[in-house]
Amino acid sequence: MSFSRETDHGTPAAIATGKSVTLTIDGQSVTLPEGTSIMRAASLTGGSIPKLCATDSMDSFGSCRLCLVEVEGRNGYPASCTTPVAEGMVVRTQTERLKQLRRGVMELYISDHPLDCLTCGANGDCELQDQAGAVGLRDVRYGYDGATNMGQAKDQSNPYFDFDPSKCIVCSRCVRACEEVQGTFALTIEGMGFDSKVSPSQGEDFLGSECVSCGACVQACPTASLIEKSVVEVGTPDRAIVTTCAYCGVGCTFRAEMRGEELVRMVPWKDGKANRGHSCVKGRFAWGYAQHQDRILNPMIRASVSEPWREVSWEEAIAHTASEFRRIQGKYGTRSIGGITSSRCTNEETFLVQKLIRQGFGNNNVDTCARVCHSPTGYGLSQTFGTSAGTQDFDSVMQADVILVIGANPTDGHPVFASRMKKRLRQGAKLIVMDPRRTDLVKSPHVEAEHHLPLRPGTNVAMLTAMAHVIVTEKLYDEAFIRERCDWDEFTDWADFVSEAVRSPEAIEPLTGVKADEVRAAARLYATGGNGAIYYGLGVTEHSQGSSTVMAIANLAMATGNVGREGVGVNPLRGQNNVQGACDMGSFPHEFSGYRHVSDTATRALFEQAWGVSLDAEPGLRIPNMLDAATDGTFKGLFVQGEDILQSDPNTHHVAAGLAAMECVVVQDLFLNETANYAHIFLPGSTFLEKDGTFTNAERRIQRVRQVMAPLNGYADWEIVQLVANAMGLDWTYDHPAQIMDEIAALTPTFAGVHYDRLEAEGSLQWPANDAAPDGTPTMHIDGFVRGKGKFVVTDYVPTDEKTGPRFPLLLTTGRILSHYNVGAQTRRTANTAWHPEDRLEIHPSDADNRGLKDGDWVTLRSRAGETTLRALVTERVAPGVVYTTFHHPETQANVITTDYSDWATNCPEYKVTAVQVMASNGPSDWQRDYADQARTSRRIAPLEAAE
Amino acid sequence: MSDESEVMSTDIMSTGDRLIYMANQIARNLAAQRDADVQTAEHIRKYWTGAMRARLQELAAERPDALSPIAAQALRRIAV
Amino acid sequence: MRVFVSRDMASVALGADDVARAFADAGCDVVRTGSRGLFSIEPLVEVETDDGRIGFGPVGPGDVAAVLDGTHATRLGKVEELAFFAGQQRFTFARCGVIDPLSLEDYAALHGWQGLAAARAQAPQAVVDTVKASGLRGRGGAGFPTGIKWQTVLDAPAGDKFIVCNADEGDSGTFADRMLMEGDPYCLIEGMAIAAHAVGAGHGYIYIRSEYPFAIYTMRLAIERSAHLVAPFTLEVREGAGAYVCGEETALLDSIEGKRGQVRAKPPLPALKGLFGQPTVINNVLSLAAVPFILAEGADAYAAVGFGRSRGTMPVQLAGNVRHGGLYEIGFGITLGELVNDVGGGTASGRPVRAVQVGGPLGAYFPPSMFHLPFDYEAFAQAGGLIGHAGITVFDDSVDMAHMARFAMEFCAAESCGKCTPCRIGSTRGVEIMDRIMAQRAPSAAAQPDPGLLPSQEHGSLAKALYSRAPSRIDTSLDAQTSLLRDLCDTMKYGSLCALGGFTPYPVLSALDHFPEDFGARAPIKEAAE
Repeated sequence: MSFSRETDHGTPAAIATGKSVTLTIDGQSVTLPEGTSIMRAASLTGGSIPKLCATDSMDSFGSCRLCLVEVEGRNGYPASCTTPVAEGMVVRTQTERLKQLRRGVMELYISDHPLDCLTCGANGDCELQDQAGAVGLRDVRYGYDGATNMGQAKDQSNPYFDFDPSKCIVCSRCVRACEEVQGTFALTIEGMGFDSKVSPSQGEDFLGSECVSCGACVQACPTASLIEKSVVEVGTPDRAIVTTCAYCGVGCTFRAEMRGEELVRMVPWKDGKANRGHSCVKGRFAWGYAQHQDRILNPMIRASVSEPWREVSWEEAIAHTASEFRRIQGKYGTRSIGGITSSRCTNEETFLVQKLIRQGFGNNNVDTCARVCHSPTGYGLSQTFGTSAGTQDFDSVMQADVILVIGANPTDGHPVFASRMKKRLRQGAKLIVMDPRRTDLVKSPHVEAEHHLPLRPGTNVAMLTAMAHVIVTEKLYDEAFIRERCDWDEFTDWADFVSEAVRSPEAIEPLTGVKADEVRAAARLYATGGNGAIYYGLGVTEHSQGSSTVMAIANLAMATGNVGREGVGVNPLRGQNNVQGACDMGSFPHEFSGYRHVSDTATRALFEQAWGVSLDAEPGLRIPNMLDAATDGTFKGLFVQGEDILQSDPNTHHVAAGLAAMECVVVQDLFLNETANYAHIFLPGSTFLEKDGTFTNAERRIQRVRQVMAPLNGYADWEIVQLVANAMGLDWTYDHPAQIMDEIAALTPTFAGVHYDRLEAEGSLQWPANDAAPDGTPTMHIDGFVRGKGKFVVTDYVPTDEKTGPRFPLLLTTGRILSHYNVGAQTRRTANTAWHPEDRLEIHPSDADNRGLKDGDWVTLRSRAGETTLRALVTERVAPGVVYTTFHHPETQANVITTDYSDWATNCPEYKVTAVQVMASNGPSDWQRDYADQARTSRRIAPLEAAE
Repeated sequence: MSDESEVMSTDIMSTGDRLIYMANQIARNLAAQRDADVQTAEHIRKYWTGAMRARLQELAAERPDALSPIAAQALRRIAV
Repeated sequence: MRVFVSRDMASVALGADDVARAFADAGCDVVRTGSRGLFSIEPLVEVETDDGRIGFGPVGPGDVAAVLDGTHATRLGKVEELAFFAGQQRFTFARCGVIDPLSLEDYAALHGWQGLAAARAQAPQAVVDTVKASGLRGRGGAGFPTGIKWQTVLDAPAGDKFIVCNADEGDSGTFADRMLMEGDPYCLIEGMAIAAHAVGAGHGYIYIRSEYPFAIYTMRLAIERSAHLVAPFTLEVREGAGAYVCGEETALLDSIEGKRGQVRAKPPLPALKGLFGQPTVINNVLSLAAVPFILAEGADAYAAVGFGRSRGTMPVQLAGNVRHGGLYEIGFGITLGELVNDVGGGTASGRPVRAVQVGGPLGAYFPPSMFHLPFDYEAFAQAGGLIGHAGITVFDDSVDMAHMARFAMEFCAAESCGKCTPCRIGSTRGVEIMDRIMAQRAPSAAAQPDPGLLPSQEHGSLAKALYSRAPSRIDTSLDAQTSLLRDLCDTMKYGSLCALGGFTPYPVLSALDHFPEDFGARAPIKEAAE
């Protein structure tokens, strides 16, 4: 794929009305949808009207005045970007008169622009330069001794891009991108007339402003005024490869723009169906970790974790891995080892890891990090609807009328989707936020929630059941839908249950702390406000009632008929880039790919035939069970690919004890992560830039990951797994991940139609994609639920056993922040630390006051599980009685605090509710000091022995 | 509620305690269903390893009062 | 004894408050009215007598006794019989200067609310038809038929529609909007209420520039007092922050919405997607204030006066160096010369008239050789000018027309919102071209520009550096600069997004065309062309 800029038609496609008009452009008769601009019409018919302020990712603006055209019968020269086509219109876009006018405008532009094209970072990739050529500008007769905006200081505060006001042409594309595309409203034009200037917020620099560094402004800038530092440093790119981001579950596609072998920048791809040309600070800019000096590029082994690492050849590392696993199995039994697949690796790699375990280890001891995030989604939606996945695509939100966000903070966690949601909200959709914290969605520029239900952590089920109580008792449910699509008897059972007075909003008010009136109003709005769409995150799943909450959500959607069409549905916002895919690929200990239980004889037979071995019909161990079994001495070996369970899993002491009890821990990762402190074999991993494969995002969209550069460590992860498998006696012969996907398709009915040639041709596919759904499935359950009848499940509110009391009076809930991702392994190794250098404890002013704490003070955070120290952030974002922190930094180790309590159905940890005490501190806890010492010791790498 | 009555402490729960806790927790959360014991049994059969189920049977025999009535009934179903 | 003294801002500036206080102190019953509109007789005091209201003016606070006994030297007799007033056709300003602006009784007594009553007795379409038949065109300057605008809004399907009154009267030398709002606020309210009935709007805004505190005060009070009469229609005043460009209708809408006042591209038309994205009637004060007469007296009565396609009356505002400055409402068709010389009485300085600018700072300059032009939208357009808001500013023969052209560019540069390139950069470049021309022309041609107005030198060294790399050195000859000025005016006129940039070339080019000698040309262009 060579470098070519994506065609910019200047204005967005018209909103479909079904009507079309026929007109003549430069003598050519064309028929186009009503509402199309003349500019877009000309572009679609192969023409090209000069433009600078217009770009098809934003509404037309009409300020640059380069795109003037002649329309027969109309006075003057209308701007083609703001003038829609009309029936019978005769348009001329290229005449001598128009050339003259356009040259006149361009001459003015250049009279206030530096003439340093040859040394400018955007040389060759500059629209101003291109358009000056296009309009035939030869001479600037105004001279250069007049007033000028040149010579202003650059703003280089943002770590990823520079703002040079001297090169700004005040087209407002950046300002409009910030408003229309990102929805942050951080930029504005200050001053009037000739003094008009782009300014972040009120005269602040970019870093200090509200700017979230999504890059939309940089992408929108037609000159070098806003330009990536990397382009300035490396030069303009000369080729581009489209690939999929490896951060969150939105699954943005990017053009990886290269200059030679060097990655220059990641630019969101307009044709990406998940992101539609938008990006966030992580995917757009925070890819530097791929080349970070911390990356381990050679395999290493050691006999015990107290020894330093010893670098070895790949052959030795692989052989040692195989022999250790076989040795342990020989000594402790077939089921004494297991593995953990990675939600950051590709579908193909994940499939291979679980295949290695089932086929090579001969057991089902495979689990994945979805255990600790969305396993309740899998369980809950499969119980009620019949599939372990969200029901909609992201585009669906643009049809929603009422959006209910539960336990999710999309502006931080899923920013690119949040921008679309905010766009819909600005169009007038209503918003209900159910969250203990006052997240940005509750109130931000031009977005305000109709209802914020700041419930006490751990009371989701009670709250959702109270909403159901209102809907049922006030007869707001959709009886026709329920009778047609669900089991009526199950509905009435459920309706009787939720109607009981103890489940009314009034009855649960003391429990949730939310006013009953507000709950009633929210329930009525959701049930009667048109298309109701529920979006939820880990604030739903990571509870001891996570699965019940997911089912309570599904119940609400079914009761109100909000399933099975555009604009509605139940939408889990997946955390990691491929958490959906990892689950789809059979990473859970009880099921094969496509969610088929290991005890199912027919399915097992299919795999046995394909793999030539007999497979275990018993479910395997979940991650916490593995750790239990390890401390009990029955589980001795673990292969962990691309996960850092020590930092990400709850109750760090428990995880550490489990890992320490094993005889062979193999970690495959980019970096010596925290888990590797307990590892005996380290296999260096490859980044998403270094391999081919697919990721599946939160909307079940399977998208290609394409190799941009050769793996620095020598092998793509799938190749490494194949080497281990073959060393263990299997005979895998994959030459390319496409062959792995072919095997997945052959063995998984929902993936039967998924092949690389189709992904190349169509860009992406949403499963199920098979004979029944040849084009994939953007919206699920359209004609009926996958399981047949939708199932109402009675969801009793069973409070968590984690209770506050005199010793632990506050409730801790955890989460993440925009600039960091998960345990921070990647983002901490980028300049994103500029925004979030450490984890902080958010605490309400009244709670801080009671403890004599000020903003920025060091505090000790203690729970029944452990204690740590970090600095306080006094804020009203959290309610009194609730504290909050992120878990991005190993120095803090928030999971030292979290407990072993977990979801009753899936053992998804209860990260969101921990009873804690907070007090002033003098410095790091003993544990933190010990841990830091141990980590330092454990990360030692022995110097290479002399070659002689 | 006093802190002393808490199930957990800073110590890591033993595997045995944890299995009993898990079985009881499943039973508690399915208690409102029509056939709670059947569902509890099915759940444990579907998601637990054979070794975990066997260990729970032993624990139930050793500590007859540790399991809730629904969990105990479920376990009897699994044993059958 | 009842006396009438104007409370109009212009009269107050001339001392009307002191005069009013003096009469009150003397035991008179002082009624504060709007202004009659002739500034040379302000402060004007009218004394109620058996023969009617007898005017005296100008009057000072020390003149109370002489006025009251009828002996004061400035006794004018009945004001409406003065030549300045007798020749007028006061359709819109009939009550202005006559009544107490805030008295509902006064307003009702002089035909107030008759138009609204007539309108409400008709279906909305019939009201729109009446306005169409009257031939009323937008008095703000654009001259777009008001009835057609209303029709678009009436036909637009939407729940919320708005009536917006543009009272951001920013043109230098214009004051008709202010005079009406201060002198007869109910007339505007009635016009807006009629518009609301005609298109189905529920709420209206009057956007008044902050430089008009009296008008803001008067309108707010009038809205409060007449709320029951126009209900369910509701009104509020929004104060403008003083940007000239907010007089442009779409920028005005942005400003009401609380945004930075910036011109919006059209389409969409405000009539379809205006305030808060809803269908909106946006009209000038004078357009809306003409409506009560049209509904009360009938479309024919209004259309009966006028000229060509310009029907009805226009409140002309005479200002600048003119003997009888003030407001003169007259049917279209009167010539420019009649207005300047007969009504205005020539210059105040007594020197010959050299140029008049019609239509505010963006209007064209006309020499006396063009005084035969009839006051008519089409005739003015054909002559390279515009009527605009009907402000006429008179200059005598001491004026430097190159300086005036520079001023037009400077005005545009100062008031440009900065959105579109021709206006944002072009106006600044225009000032620079004019400075070069004025520096190049023979020193004796006219006064030197104020050095303070020259562009700042602080960018000197950088500019030099850039200049050295310039693709071609700038040609500063008069010919080259004049030709560049014409090209720039062409770019601005046809390339600008709104009338600010688009109309700035009018004063510049008219000055250049009609007064080339001030631009250093040896002879007028016409002769050179021969």
